[in-house]
Amino acid sequence: MATLKFSKTHEWAKIDANIAVIGISDHAQKALGDIVFIELPKIGAKLKANAQFGTIESTKAASELYSPLSGEVTEINKELLNNPQWVNESPFERGWMIKIKVENSNEPSSLMDEAVYKEFAAKEAH
Amino acid sequence: MPYILNTEKDIKEMLTTIGISSLDDLYRHLPNQIKINKKLNLPSGLSEQELRSFIIALAAKNKTINEFNSFLGAGSYKHYVPSALNSIISRAEFLTAYTPYQAECSQGILQAIYEYQSYICLLTGMDVSNASLFDGGSSLAESILMSLRVTQRKKVIISSAIHPEYKRTIYTYLSGFNFKIQEINFDQQGLTDINQLTADGDTACIAIQSPNFFGIIEKLGKISSLAKEKGALVIQVANPVSLAILKEPAAQGVDIVCGDGQALGGFLSFGGPSFGFIATKNEFLRQLPGRIVGKSTDKEGKTAYCLTIQAREQHIKRERATSNICSNQSLNAISAAIYLSLMGKEGLYDCALYSLNLAHYLHGRISEVKGVKINFSNNFFNEFVWNVENQKTVIKKLYKKGIISGLALSKFYPGLKGGILSCCTETKSRAQIDEFIETLKTILN
Amino acid sequence: MDNRVIFDKTTPGRKTNYIKKPDIGIKKPDELLPQETLRNDLILPSLGELDVVRHYTNLSRLNFSVDTNFYPLGSCTMKYNPKINEELAALCGFLNIHPYQPEESIQGALELIYNLEKILREITGMSRFSFQASSGAQGELTGMLMVRKYHKINKSKKRKVIVPDSSHGTNPATSSMCGYETVVVESNKDGLIDLDKLSQAIDNEVAAVMLTNPNTLGLFEENILAISEMVHKAGGFLYYDGANFNPLLGITNPALMGFDVIHLNLHKTFSTPHGCGGPGAGAVGVNDKLLDFLPCPLVNKEDEKFYFNYKVKHSIGKLRAFYGNFSVLVRAYAYLLRLGKEGLPRVAQNATLNANYIKAKLKNYYNTASSKSSMHEVVFSCVKQKERGISALDIAKRLIDYGMHPPTMYFPLIAKEALMVEPTETENKETLDYFIEAMLKINKEIDDNPQNIKDAPHHTPVKRVDEVKAARNPDLRWQCKKIGA
Repeated sequence: MATLKFSKTHEWAKIDANIAVIGISDHAQKALGDIVFIELPKIGAKLKANAQFGTIESTKAASELYSPLSGEVTEINKELLNNPQWVNESPFERGWMIKIKVENSNEPSSLMDEAVYKEFAAKEAH
Repeated sequence: MPYILNTEKDIKEMLTTIGISSLDDLYRHLPNQIKINKKLNLPSGLSEQELRSFIIALAAKNKTINEFNSFLGAGSYKHYVPSALNSIISRAEFLTAYTPYQAECSQGILQAIYEYQSYICLLTGMDVSNASLFDGGSSLAESILMSLRVTQRKKVIISSAIHPEYKRTIYTYLSGFNFKIQEINFDQQGLTDINQLTADGDTACIAIQSPNFFGIIEKLGKISSLAKEKGALVIQVANPVSLAILKEPAAQGVDIVCGDGQALGGFLSFGGPSFGFIATKNEFLRQLPGRIVGKSTDKEGKTAYCLTIQAREQHIKRERATSNICSNQSLNAISAAIYLSLMGKEGLYDCALYSLNLAHYLHGRISEVKGVKINFSNNFFNEFVWNVENQKTVIKKLYKKGIISGLALSKFYPGLKGGILSCCTETKSRAQIDEFIETLKTILN
Repeated sequence: MDNRVIFDKTTPGRKTNYIKKPDIGIKKPDELLPQETLRNDLILPSLGELDVVRHYTNLSRLNFSVDTNFYPLGSCTMKYNPKINEELAALCGFLNIHPYQPEESIQGALELIYNLEKILREITGMSRFSFQASSGAQGELTGMLMVRKYHKINKSKKRKVIVPDSSHGTNPATSSMCGYETVVVESNKDGLIDLDKLSQAIDNEVAAVMLTNPNTLGLFEENILAISEMVHKAGGFLYYDGANFNPLLGITNPALMGFDVIHLNLHKTFSTPHGCGGPGAGAVGVNDKLLDFLPCPLVNKEDEKFYFNYKVKHSIGKLRAFYGNFSVLVRAYAYLLRLGKEGLPRVAQNATLNANYIKAKLKNYYNTASSKSSMHEVVFSCVKQKERGISALDIAKRLIDYGMHPPTMYFPLIAKEALMVEPTETENKETLDYFIEAMLKINKEIDDNPQNIKDAPHHTPVKRVDEVKAARNPDLRWQCKKIGA
């Protein structure tokens, strides 16, 4: 079964075996507002944990996207590039961004699980 | 007091409302040691009547270009400006508004800028334009910074036949970074020496002016293919009027076009204000600096315009913005759109055609004058370089006869010590050119 | 109104002759230039003069402007732009001079620049000015590049620039353009710079601290001398963003406050018109320490002759071609002569008075971002209204219905639901009262008819514009429709 983990920079990773699907949290999309543009890496790009993998823009903000985990990009959500509103409408499903092949199976344990993240996000909002 | 409308009675009432007793109390929280506490050492204010006479007298100390038979160009061009242009652009609703942050009460500004952006795209053949930059020099510097962001490389190649003041601007703008700037010399023909052009895998861009500072049309197609081989971008500084005739930058593989817009209905104004333009391909849109206007709809579906793609800009992205630019030169950009609308397709073409013809007529006549040498290529638009011995003396003697023959190139290129850059626009006449030639003949004999 | 773009109004064959055909045989371009250098086709509209005049005149009527509407756009100092200045800037002797004319033929222009500099030196206490910058942001770049070069020549290893979290976005953006890392220092609860946090942030690697004073909350940084001492002790410079200088004219000056390098926005403080976003002018002033770093040329005087001085020892070079936005300088100079030594402090006092009057009348209804005394602008934090379902944006849009340009919204970022109101000294009390009344009516309307506020503006040519759509599907230019398409 897939496990859902979160980073301090508000990305989530759904990890199933050695593949992780990555996107941004509901909290993050709400904070950004209407998403208008997303830039994603090329397939095959090698990412380090906490390194930038793309950018995301709303009408009032711009933000970097950071990979929660290290690994190689195996797939990107191409349709999302033309439908950035999916990040707002469905951050965990249609709004997924990239899939990576997880390099280090120990890394996920350093991320937050959902309950801890919710508390973290609530605190940051104040 | 001029322009301050509060009467003594108003001030009293307002102070009471605020709960203080004097205007000085507004400043009571300022530390005493930084207060001026005396009158400024300046004259007392003038009445409007006195001010007008005083400034008119000051302006009269200048001799305007109209009092001379002038062939000065070199980045600032005297073209005919239709009267209607000044009438429209002086309207207070353009003049005294600011950046159209509030779209609903700025639709006229926004649409005018959208039209300006469209005009720049039509002239250059590019996909997108911003809402203006400051001038030609800084627009080139911004273009180069843009190419460095796009390519993530560290080296730029610039032609030495770019306007020397633009070149100096590049060095200043890049002085905070560790980028390498390589300058390519021009050849015997006055063209950027392609043999010296050796882009490598770390070259972000090759920047060329065409027509270049000497007026000559560069071989952009060749330069573009050299750049493309190494994945470098090509930046062209262009004269927008020349584009009525000359091949559009997009058709020559150019990635970013920039330049000064003064020629599009702007006055000389001692060099400013004019405006800088910048246009590029869609793929580089997010690296464009400055404001951009987009067309959208209002909530009832009606066509409406607004500032857009703002996440690039300083007010949102702060230290990570594409540029620090905030105010630009909107009024001059809108003025250019009005100029192009008034001149129209045929009018702009004629303007470019007559400039080209008059410059070539002058070139033909001056090349027959004994003592004049011309070395550079004949493929020029509205200005060209000619050479004489004792260039400075010749310029002075012509000046005494009321003729400003052009710019002495030694000011910028010590190697071109006899060179004079002369320009013709549609404002010159055959009689003026002939007078110049006859006077020059007398002086050189 | 016909709201088509100008390109859709074209009628092939229509034109107005503006220029004379020269009396030489006109050759076609391909007779003079190689075919491969020429373009095949140029798409531009063909219109008559009235078509164009009506089109743009009608566009102009869709805008709010200082001449037509109260325009309290905070941080922008939208004061009245005196008409005489327009007339003087348009004098033939100023409009029709070429930047490369011989110096003896442009003595009037050089004298004007020289005298304008003299006045600004007196007002600010700085040693010299450059007028090359075309805007405040370019002025910042000028000033900070001088700072950078100074440190480079003195071999001091600096890599950081400190800005407060309330700073204008141009400050951190400028710092990046100079290759510096930006360090943001948080403001304290009063909205002023937190001295403890500043002292923790300052070290030997700090090249400069960039400040605006009054700051963007409209508050005077009372500890400016302590700040100045702190940064100077660490070998850094204190940079003055002069965007908010209006309330201090003749009251204090940047030199007395300890600033080393400054820019003034001539289009704000000195009343030159904002022109839909420009042209402006940034006058950059320095104290003696940075004299040798100014852009060149400067205007000097010798034996009653004015001349361009290019001999600036460590000059950072040029920020643009030629000498700056000269026509803007003419207007600023005329304005300064008109006001004179008595007028300038009156400007400052009345700008401050007007802002404080609005604040006094509204503070019981709208929270202010700080309890400190305001200068020329007041920042309201519309949190009480937000709790009742109406945002600062809604209030701004509703103000348009009252015929007023909204204040600056959502800035500075440290104030929630911010509306930054800068009335300027040129507005009369009746206008301020009308604004106050409108703000009170809107506050009441939140309870009576909130939907009406959310639907605002009602009387504009267009309703609220879909900015999301504009950004998601950029349409940034007119496209020529292919015939038959």
